[in-house]
Amino acid sequence: MAAIAESTSGPVTASAPPRGKPRKDSGRGSPVVYFAALVLIALMLGPVLYIITGGFRTNSQITSNPAALPNPWVFANYTEVLTSSTFWRQVGNSTISALATTIAVVVLGVMASYVLARYQFRGRGAMYALFAAGLMFPITVAITPLYILVKNLGLVNTLPGIILPQIAFALPTTIIILVPFLQAIPKELEEAAAIDRCSRLGFFWRMVLPLSVPGVITTGILAFIGAWNSYLLPLFILNDQDTFTLPLGVQAFASQYSVDTAKVLAFTSLSMIPALVFFSLFERRIVGGLTGAVKG
Amino acid sequence: MSSNFGAETLAVAENAPGNRPGTGGGAQAPPPSRSRPGIGWRQRLEIALLSGPAIIMFLAFVIFPVLMAAYYGFYRWKGFGPPTNFVGLQNYVTILQDSLFQEALWHNAVIVVLSLVFQGPIAIGFALLLNQKVRGQSLIRVLIFVPYVIAEVIVGTGWSLMLQTNGAVNAVLRSIGLGALTSDWLANPDLAIWTLMLILTWKYVGFAVILFLAGMQNIPEELSEAAAVDGASYWQTQWRITLPLLGPTIRIWAFLSIIGALQLFDLVYIIWGQYVSSTAGVSTMATYMVTEGRNAGNYGYGNAVAVVLFLISMVIALVYQRFVLRRDTQGALGGR
Amino acid sequence: MASRKALAVAAAVASSMSLVACGGGGNEESGGTSSSGGPVTMTFWHNATTGPGKAFWDKTVADFQTANPNVTIEAQSIQNEELDGKLQTALNSGSAPDIFFQRGGGKMAAMVEAGQVKDITDAITPETKQALGEAALASAQIEGKTYSVPVSILPGGLWYSKDLFKKAGVDATPTTMDELNAAVTKLKDTGAAPIALGAKDAWPAAHWYYFFALRSCSKATLDAAAADKNFSDPCWTKAGEDLKAFADTKPFNEGFLTTSAQQGAGSSAGLLANHKASMELMGAWNPGVIASLTPDTKPLPDLGFFPFPAVPGGQGDPAAIMGGTDGYSCSADAPPQCSDFLNFILTKDVQEGYYKGFQALPVNKEAQGVVKEDYLKAVLDAYNAAPYVSLWLDTIYGQNVGNALNVGVVNLLAGKGDVAGIIEAVNAAAAKG
Repeated sequence: MAAIAESTSGPVTASAPPRGKPRKDSGRGSPVVYFAALVLIALMLGPVLYIITGGFRTNSQITSNPAALPNPWVFANYTEVLTSSTFWRQVGNSTISALATTIAVVVLGVMASYVLARYQFRGRGAMYALFAAGLMFPITVAITPLYILVKNLGLVNTLPGIILPQIAFALPTTIIILVPFLQAIPKELEEAAAIDRCSRLGFFWRMVLPLSVPGVITTGILAFIGAWNSYLLPLFILNDQDTFTLPLGVQAFASQYSVDTAKVLAFTSLSMIPALVFFSLFERRIVGGLTGAVKG
Repeated sequence: MSSNFGAETLAVAENAPGNRPGTGGGAQAPPPSRSRPGIGWRQRLEIALLSGPAIIMFLAFVIFPVLMAAYYGFYRWKGFGPPTNFVGLQNYVTILQDSLFQEALWHNAVIVVLSLVFQGPIAIGFALLLNQKVRGQSLIRVLIFVPYVIAEVIVGTGWSLMLQTNGAVNAVLRSIGLGALTSDWLANPDLAIWTLMLILTWKYVGFAVILFLAGMQNIPEELSEAAAVDGASYWQTQWRITLPLLGPTIRIWAFLSIIGALQLFDLVYIIWGQYVSSTAGVSTMATYMVTEGRNAGNYGYGNAVAVVLFLISMVIALVYQRFVLRRDTQGALGGR
Repeated sequence: MASRKALAVAAAVASSMSLVACGGGGNEESGGTSSSGGPVTMTFWHNATTGPGKAFWDKTVADFQTANPNVTIEAQSIQNEELDGKLQTALNSGSAPDIFFQRGGGKMAAMVEAGQVKDITDAITPETKQALGEAALASAQIEGKTYSVPVSILPGGLWYSKDLFKKAGVDATPTTMDELNAAVTKLKDTGAAPIALGAKDAWPAAHWYYFFALRSCSKATLDAAAADKNFSDPCWTKAGEDLKAFADTKPFNEGFLTTSAQQGAGSSAGLLANHKASMELMGAWNPGVIASLTPDTKPLPDLGFFPFPAVPGGQGDPAAIMGGTDGYSCSADAPPQCSDFLNFILTKDVQEGYYKGFQALPVNKEAQGVVKEDYLKAVLDAYNAAPYVSLWLDTIYGQNVGNALNVGVVNLLAGKGDVAGIIEAVNAAAAKG
């Protein structure tokens, strides 16, 4: 997130705990708050629950009573999907793609952000603007020539064919988030390191990296989710069903088995799970990271 | 919307705490690498090594394709072999004159505006409500964020099943006695755009709430406590203090929302397919690009559309930055 | 399941069944030699994603591999609506499948022009030629060279439910538009939609326009339009007006704009399969598709067929029929075993298997003897009686203009565009590509 330095918040190390949760009297409109939260959560989760429970029904249940609970609960759809090699292959492909993208993006991003954050040199502005401008190029804009490029590299139908572009397109976001993080590391530390005869690179290695972990995690998660959910790029590049990632798989499954709504719902909800699990593991970091980024 | 984040100007980043000239306490550092004029070759090497890979990847897979898009856009080309039929700006003329494109552009504009109008107030309202210490706050935040995490493909597949004429939404309406409201949510050209907005709002409002909550964390306690001492009610405090201070966050969120709305593709393509999105009144510039470009075999034309989409995004981004975000950077630019 | 529209028909022109001498196919017996030594692997793309059709291809591939031990074929079933896009991408990127589904017409012509399809004129065995007959083979040729082989005859017409017709009191199948309109009126009282329409995929809606155009335009006009994409003849407008007049009687199912053609019980084929609609205008692959969507996934017992009715005031022959053949091609770099496979799938046994798997008419005349359903026989009769056969218009005109034409028709039916809009859309598309 962009670093908007608000006039009231000072440098990181100064002043009172900047991140305190507002300590209101509990009981202050609490029922209202809970109610509002409940409404919001119900709205957000309703459709998701529909998809999940739909998988536990049969087609005729769905046709006769579209919005009811399963009666009886049918497990066949879920077990069929869970035992199908196609599903696991697609999960595997998505995992490889997302992990590779994330690791590369984080590594390259941290290195480049470090340069932008802590070195002074001519062309720094231009480099930053280069990456920032990258936000104006969504993959939709570049997709056709990108496909031709990937084709010329002979990477059509391969996972590297989607991983490499994903890395490149995730860099702007990563760098924009990480630069303020890295800038927030006080100069004092750097000077202290220098006095201890630590080179700039050593400083990078020993102090910057550990301190930038929150930002790295945030950008890593965003990169992972972005790569995991990516649809347009795999749509263009991956033709062979064996190489499909999960979003493509969902669509292919939905059209192939569209006779069987219940089965499609089962497949769809199973596809949601990896992303949700991943997110819930790192939820605190995401929000924390966003807080830090917005705060600058 | 893609998960692109705000393009903050370098100026702001430069002035984040820790980097302001003169704030680096401590003694003037001996190591020559810190001095501003002239950097040693060693530094140059470090810069090159550290930033090189990222720059190369970026140039190769982002900048280069975009330049190629511009190049191909000047040709009529079927996609195989080298392009040979140079037509100059003809593709661009065709695009601007094509009623299908104009419709798509209009749809994008509607989506941009409605996204802001719907998601903003709802998200601010919920953020204000949820910014109080309640048990399970963490869980609440997780659950609100869930739709954002799910892929647009999955969202589209699930929702289109629910919105069928004989699907869950209509069934629920009937069961609670609102049977008169059942409609063809997807096919009715008057309704389809609103259906799309509903799904978009559902997907992205959680993200907005989280963002605003994060922004609110930065507003110091003291301010609202002082206001309480002065006798302000909770809502007065929110209106007079919290909201204005949330301004920068709101403006950043709006920027992300606008850019995302301009680039919208996945959801529309999945739910309405490649043929009827324009008939249903929900086509976007991106779906137009894929339908008239790749799907029709007109690769040169498709690239020209991509360039147009880019230019429009760019202009809007620059204008927004100049006039809207400038306020936020103004204060921070102090010690320049 | 079920193949989509016709293909492998002469690109140069709406193929005609009449006496156009087929420009002599290659004569020497070149027979696929599988003796190129070493194992060969080929990829094979077809569009049967479910049911007996897919099973048929799996078995056929297995049988071929058994007969040719050093050949391995990797078959992939691609959803019909995705096929064209994916195929184009694959062909353009040099990673084309060796054997692939071919629709023919302008689409095949574009591939030939790009040098992406293999000329198999000399690879067709005499047995194959004899079994298929000149006319069927002619449909797969461009300028006398053969680029694909047809595997089934798939003309279009109206598929209907005999039970629903009887219930509504429609005693005879309509032969004129007036009779069709009358039938529609009666069918509305059954509670089922008179006509199922899968407009989400665009081409099913466009088929209605094509047939009206077939009735309205003379054969010469059709040929001319195929040659230079000129739609200025007033017959095209008349076809649009006929369609609009028909659509104004509201014969189609509700929500046809988001009804797909073949995917799921909610598709137009599914509606017919579950007696939620009484008729559908569709190609002759429909019985197979319908069979996969009935509650017991068996063929619909009361299915019937009648050809598109005569329309007054047109210059087209009232018995002309539209449609053609599904076929398969070899990509330019495919190994010679590819044409072996093509010859193999045209043998009598495999063709009989094709018929059983897809409920569609095999092109091999010897295999046609096993066809027993009366609706398929009706199709064959209509096909043989037609003075000329036109290919689906969007296949003739190629992807760019074809897509635009289809969407223009959908707009008309949705009330968003008008008749002139169809012609405008087509002309606009020509300007883009």
